Amino acid sequence: MPRIHFGDWVETAVDWVQSHLTWVFDIVNAVLDGMYSGVESVLGGGEPLLLAGILAVIAAWLRGLLPGVLAFAGLALIDSLGLWDDAMDTLSLVLVAAVITVVLALPLGVWAARSRRVSAQLRPVLDVMQTMPAFIYLIPGVMFFGVGTTPGLLATIIFAMPPGVRMTELGIRQVDGELVEAAEAFGTTPRDILLRVQLPLALPTIMAGVNQVIMLALSMVVIGGMAGAGGLGEQVYSAITQLKVGLAAESGVAVVILAMYLDRMTGALGERVSPLGRRAAAKVSALVGRARFAHYRPAGAVAVVGVVVLALVAGGLNLAGSGDAEAGSSTDVGKGKRISIGYIPWDEGTATTYLWKELLEQRGYETDVKQLDPGPLYSGVARGDLDFQTDAWLPTTHKAYWDKYGSQLEDLGSWYGPTSLELTVPSYVKGIDSLADLKGQGKRFGGKIIGIEASAGMMGTLNSKVLKAYGLEGEYKVVSSSTSSMLAELDRSIKKREPVVVTLWSPHWAYGKYDLKKLQDPEGAWGEGEQIHTVARKGFSADDPVAAQWLKDFKLTEKQLTGLENAIREAGQGHEQDGVRSWLKKNPGLVDRLAPVPGSGAGKQGKDAGKTVDMGYFPWDEAIASTYLWQNILEDRGYKPTLKQLDPGPLYSSLAQGQMDVQLDSWLPTTHKAYMDKYGSQLEDLGSWYGPTSLELTVPSYVKGIDSLADLKGQGKRFGGKIIGIEASAGMMGTLNSKVLKAYGLEGEYKVVSSSTSSMLAELDRSIKKREPVVVTLWSPHWAYGKYDLKKLQDPEGAWGKGERIHMVGKKTFSQDFPEFSGWLKNFKLTEEQLASLEVAIQKGGAGNEKASARQWLDAQPGLEDKLAPVS
Amino acid sequence: MSPRLETEHLYKVFGRRPDDAVERLRQGAGREELRAGGTTAAVIDASFQVEPGEIFVVMGLSGSGKSTLLRMLNGLSEPTAGHVRFDGQDLTSLPDPALRELRSRKISMVFQHFALFPHRSVRDNAAYGLYVQGVPRAERDRRADEALALCGLAGWEKSWPDELSGGMQQRVGLARALATDADLLLMDESFSALDPLIRRDMQDQLLELQKSLKKTIVFITHDLNEAMRLGDRIAMMRDGRIVQVGTAQEILVHPADDYVASFTKDVDRSRVLTAAAVMDTEVRGDEADCDCETATPHTPFTELCAISARVAHPVAVVDRDDTLVGVVPRHRLVGFLGDEQGDPTPCRPRGGKVAAGA
Repeated sequence: MPRIHFGDWVETAVDWVQSHLTWVFDIVNAVLDGMYSGVESVLGGGEPLLLAGILAVIAAWLRGLLPGVLAFAGLALIDSLGLWDDAMDTLSLVLVAAVITVVLALPLGVWAARSRRVSAQLRPVLDVMQTMPAFIYLIPGVMFFGVGTTPGLLATIIFAMPPGVRMTELGIRQVDGELVEAAEAFGTTPRDILLRVQLPLALPTIMAGVNQVIMLALSMVVIGGMAGAGGLGEQVYSAITQLKVGLAAESGVAVVILAMYLDRMTGALGERVSPLGRRAAAKVSALVGRARFAHYRPAGAVAVVGVVVLALVAGGLNLAGSGDAEAGSSTDVGKGKRISIGYIPWDEGTATTYLWKELLEQRGYETDVKQLDPGPLYSGVARGDLDFQTDAWLPTTHKAYWDKYGSQLEDLGSWYGPTSLELTVPSYVKGIDSLADLKGQGKRFGGKIIGIEASAGMMGTLNSKVLKAYGLEGEYKVVSSSTSSMLAELDRSIKKREPVVVTLWSPHWAYGKYDLKKLQDPEGAWGEGEQIHTVARKGFSADDPVAAQWLKDFKLTEKQLTGLENAIREAGQGHEQDGVRSWLKKNPGLVDRLAPVPGSGAGKQGKDAGKTVDMGYFPWDEAIASTYLWQNILEDRGYKPTLKQLDPGPLYSSLAQGQMDVQLDSWLPTTHKAYMDKYGSQLEDLGSWYGPTSLELTVPSYVKGIDSLADLKGQGKRFGGKIIGIEASAGMMGTLNSKVLKAYGLEGEYKVVSSSTSSMLAELDRSIKKREPVVVTLWSPHWAYGKYDLKKLQDPEGAWGKGERIHMVGKKTFSQDFPEFSGWLKNFKLTEEQLASLEVAIQKGGAGNEKASARQWLDAQPGLEDKLAPVS
Repeated sequence: MSPRLETEHLYKVFGRRPDDAVERLRQGAGREELRAGGTTAAVIDASFQVEPGEIFVVMGLSGSGKSTLLRMLNGLSEPTAGHVRFDGQDLTSLPDPALRELRSRKISMVFQHFALFPHRSVRDNAAYGLYVQGVPRAERDRRADEALALCGLAGWEKSWPDELSGGMQQRVGLARALATDADLLLMDESFSALDPLIRRDMQDQLLELQKSLKKTIVFITHDLNEAMRLGDRIAMMRDGRIVQVGTAQEILVHPADDYVASFTKDVDRSRVLTAAAVMDTEVRGDEADCDCETATPHTPFTELCAISARVAHPVAVVDRDDTLVGVVPRHRLVGFLGDEQGDPTPCRPRGGKVAAGA
């Protein structure tokens, strides 16, 4: 059977349409969006209760006093649930979609009724529209129209159209043929036959169709929430994806109230507009007779007066409300510039999105946030409909999206990481601690691993790597469902204390809520942890360099993130921003640090604020750490530090010549002896901030029997005769070759491979993963000691020499030029723990994010900044 | 006087290639033959004339093509071949707007199931034709009310069609047709859906109205009694063809074929026949010389029997000039009732064969 590449054709067609017919989409987009904003500004503008009053008067006019009162009660309930704005968004969407649908469906239905051929050709099209799963055109809708109301509206129109067309056709066809013939027999023109006979008689059926259109539109608008259509759909969707059943139910109730209102009103409207309906209604009211009051319906004029009065009051309040415009302030960076943020309803996405919404609003930006599925989110950012999103899991989870849209996106760097993916069991599941333990236990778990959305990257990894690595294929079946279903299943199982194994990731709130056990992954099958990146549309940093810089510098620690997430969860659905505010209140100064107002400097200014400090460093970890730390501090104090990375030789010489002001990583007296001998007289030693250091050869601790340099002798074969060194220019390399090897008689047996610090570390990492023996040159302090389980080889001969101290060295006139800064530096000290954690923070943040990582670390050390750089 | 309505070799064929089918029908092909080919011949070679003021009834069973024939008379259905002339004007050549104009002013129609517009009041229904003509509201309401009054529905103007009984609804249908003052009324089985008593009332009312209005009416029915009661002339249709056109008596007395004859069997002859059909025009005696009661050729059969019972000799039938045109011996009356037209035979002695009816 030849494979028909239908899917490929569709994709090609979509690509072509996307690139050639943009103008069509722009027009459609403008029309739909314009209509929506118009309606939305009317419905969403007024005071909720007044608007509810207007809707209630309409209900009273159409159906009577009691329905009017009930309508008011229902709408007031929506308001009290805090869902009014969303409900009005939804109502606007429904009205716009329904109007467009009816305008299109009526003529189509009439046409189909008049021509069998049209009817026959229309039928399969309607079938497709009605049954094709909405997601299939919802997502291309996003590709064509961008995230927002238009794709949602379009999907709604497509979905709601068939009953409108069908019922119109049916209604007209149902009109008694003899009546049409009678009209013809009296010489009626075809147009009048349609307008005076067929349509009036078909009206009850057509109105039933309109009713269906509106109800379907409402149900579809909820689904459209996934494509950023907003309104109640978004609320329902985000509540469900976070397993907040109560909130979902509240939104659901609001949807139902709207549905009932719209259903009853269109039903009554059908009665009102159709002559037959009027006849039937008149008969009923003639029969009822009693309980007049309950059946009182205001006359049209009374209803109009009521609506107008309420509308005027609402309009008046609205004008008054918009009178007190916000005064501009010194922190108004955005000047009303609009920034759209999209997010996936994962906790860290929601948390950071609302955090940035609050930060940006405090800085004078207008923001709107949209909750979306990853697909629409990425395409929305790629198209430029959204400015950025903060929840890009790279390189694995969102790989597919990144591959597709990466070229249209700007990576603003990672703000959190590494994350981890894992299989997780409740901790009451005894005996299962590692993935390897799962083998043979399939029965216990019903042979099932509860997965998330099949499209998620981690599902691919699970199926293709993890199961294989532990031989779980065949025994376990990965059930792909959705994140919310997975969490529901987890919740259910925990309630029943049933064994269950689910796919989960860190950070995740489930770890806080339930007592769970991450299954260890000794084989490393899940791969390395990921980083959560902030991703912006192409050109964002050019359009808004300030905000882009904030986002680039953005970092959160796990503690901060969980704190923020908890604050948001406490505040509750719909009040995310309040949660952010209360969290920010507990973290004073954070706003200025996360979003510093350019030029003003955060917090207290130093005496020499505004001075430029040229700082040089060479790429050693402690140099990077301390230099970036001071860069942050100096900026906070109003200085303008510049950083330059140089090799030690050029750095010392430029300091001596006064081209550089200061460097913080002078290892004395040994390592940098040569430079000090040469330039010492032209430099100013600002003292030491750390010490003593040590140099050493190091092996992984699984290398048994090697504890001292002396033990290396005769073991050359084990290590391939190699000692992995660093840069040949480094002082320790000289010491190693000239002293250490000699002292222990290792010359000839071992060759010192000089490479670079990073190659050395890569080799160390590789060897540890393979559990191969390796010996490397290393020094303390170094973050590698924190990351790996290493063994420093003892140096009984003292061949490495005494430990050194790390000094700060300035140009000759440094203290005169920077009296304040030099004073701070002379008192600068870091403990080993401080330095190690700072280095780890920077290492985790990855290259390019050093400043932000240092910032994050600094922020996590309360009071440190004022201690290091006191301002009187 | 020229006929108000005239049809000339009218054909209506449904299905593919209707012109070929007409050609084959002209060459003598039968209806069944065509049906095998997927075409249906509804009306075949219909030619007749309707005089002004005449009630012309087309009688036939369902499927005989009578309704199709009727719809060709006002252009609702276009003939496949042949011509329809109304007041000398050929309808088949008229463009649609002119045809609509004609229908709205000159030809109106009454339907089997009334076809009243449920979303219009009784008055608005009756006024519908005038509304189509564009008559101003006040005038059309007045004329509609007049037409309703004529049909005995005064006072019901503001009611709705679904509040009326079937008979009343059809009176509205009739009023609607009369309100336009059309010359030609097409009535499509208009009384068939009514129960027998109401149907009789309606027939009486139609005849009553016709006395004063003198419309030209083409009336379709499948009920021969109704046809005989209403029709000045009757066209008998069978399988799309008109097999006989004539007055009720002609059809009753001289059916064109067995098919027609089989219909006439069920007819209550005493209600249809008149002296003219029964009288013996050849017997000439002194019957009219006495001062006894006489009959006219139009005297209905039942009355003739009554007269015959009162006079001792055959009843003399005289025309308007008191000239004797025929006599009706009593045995003829009995013979006509029994459909026995021969003279009585003399008695035969007992023991011989008894003559049974032929």
